[in-house]
Amino acid sequence: MEKEKIQELKSILKSRLNRPLRYYTDTCTRCGICYDSCHAFYGIPKKEYSPVGRAEVVRKLLKKYTRPSGFLFPYWGDAMKLGDAVLDQVFEAAWSCTGCRRCMVNCPFGIDTGQIMGVAKHLLIENGTAPEELIMLADAAVEKGKSIDQFKEGYKQVIHDLEKEVQKKLNLPSPDGLIPMEKQGADILYVGLAGAHSIVNPAIIFNAAKANWTLSFFEAVNFGFFAGDPDKTNFIAQRIIKEAMALNVKEVVIVECGTAFRILRALMGKLPFRVSSIVEVIHRYVEEGKVKLNKNSVSEPVTYHDPCQLGRNGGVFEEPRAVIRKIVSDYREMSPTREQNWCCGGGGGLVALDNEDFRIKTGKAKKDQIVATGAKIVVTACENCVSQLKTIKGGYGLDIEVKYLSELVCENLAIQSSE
Amino acid sequence: MSDAIKPDITMDLKGMACPMPVVKVSQQIKKMQIGQVLAAETTDPGAYADFPAWAKSTGNEIISTDKKENVTTFYIKKIK
Repeated sequence: MEKEKIQELKSILKSRLNRPLRYYTDTCTRCGICYDSCHAFYGIPKKEYSPVGRAEVVRKLLKKYTRPSGFLFPYWGDAMKLGDAVLDQVFEAAWSCTGCRRCMVNCPFGIDTGQIMGVAKHLLIENGTAPEELIMLADAAVEKGKSIDQFKEGYKQVIHDLEKEVQKKLNLPSPDGLIPMEKQGADILYVGLAGAHSIVNPAIIFNAAKANWTLSFFEAVNFGFFAGDPDKTNFIAQRIIKEAMALNVKEVVIVECGTAFRILRALMGKLPFRVSSIVEVIHRYVEEGKVKLNKNSVSEPVTYHDPCQLGRNGGVFEEPRAVIRKIVSDYREMSPTREQNWCCGGGGGLVALDNEDFRIKTGKAKKDQIVATGAKIVVTACENCVSQLKTIKGGYGLDIEVKYLSELVCENLAIQSSE
Repeated sequence: MSDAIKPDITMDLKGMACPMPVVKVSQQIKKMQIGQVLAAETTDPGAYADFPAWAKSTGNEIISTDKKENVTTFYIKKIK
């Protein structure tokens, strides 16, 4: 490796060494409890796929470059020098972790492997060896933010076409204005994804509830965060924040995407609007009687998969269950559940990478959970989770159907006659 | 215009979850020769902004767009 590159990587290690990271890397006693907490280790029981195994790679680099003892006596505590082979280990550590933080919940010291892997991803970005797919997606999202005015008209036209689907579902007289855009003073700015399902189903729900809402031009997902690039993460999130502030909305509602929700709700500081998940909003409308559901209309056994960033890291556990229980007559909880629910193995950007065999193997814990419930329908509330659950379904030949919560709600909406 | 375009590769990306349409197009275009054209068929409304932004950030060119019912075909020429 070139000396200049090593200097750049050293400066990243030093800049990232804040108080929590120092605590995390100093406190680990290698007790091994995290081994049993990691879905990747469950599927592939090798040390390098355990939380402590991953963290050790970064800890050894920090030891070498941020501690006098690591510099003077590198053999004490296994300090490790930067080099191509070591960066291969860093890659393997970073990109086998979904950042689900189940290990953190079970660690006696609360060590956040996800944060440690954030350092690993940052090193790979600077080294130019981060996954190309995620860098490309982050760059495209940044470009979209810079050039959005060029794309607005085409996007508005295709969104207008989707209004007919909303009209048809709700038996409304006209499609016009059912998916509003650039609506100044709307109560809600809804941020979806690229797919029609992420716009049409929420639009049906917003219209059923007669909400004063508007659709964002941007996609909620933040590929800068997945890639591990702090600057792009901030730029991509700021696109939505600026749009919300320009429209003067009271609330930003995030599509079924766990990471997008967590970033805006928890990682962007104090914002002049409320941030909610569409899951919370659906629950609110159902509780307020604004959206009516056909009760017990699904008799097949149904289970719910908690997306890690929405549940364990976002605290949204009860709302989706309350909605599902109104629709289905045979709801079956996975075991373990809620904070202890197993990650599906698709989060953290992994689902966008060319790693299907790895994800099938590391989805074994989730597969075992689903099979144990006997459920025929698995409902979840995250795009990544839906993709990964479908991969698990195919990989293990499961006889299940995977659905978004919003999809289940729209299928079982009690439609009132048009006025 | 698109009737005259003869794509070298056609990809069916209809119904794929986020972010796979852009990922698949990006992977495919890397395998192609400069000057070749990829036709990407998608049902994603977001593609209307995502594909042009991707093309701009990667230096490729969308030479035509063709919409039939809910399927849009982007004709992408590999420039570099």
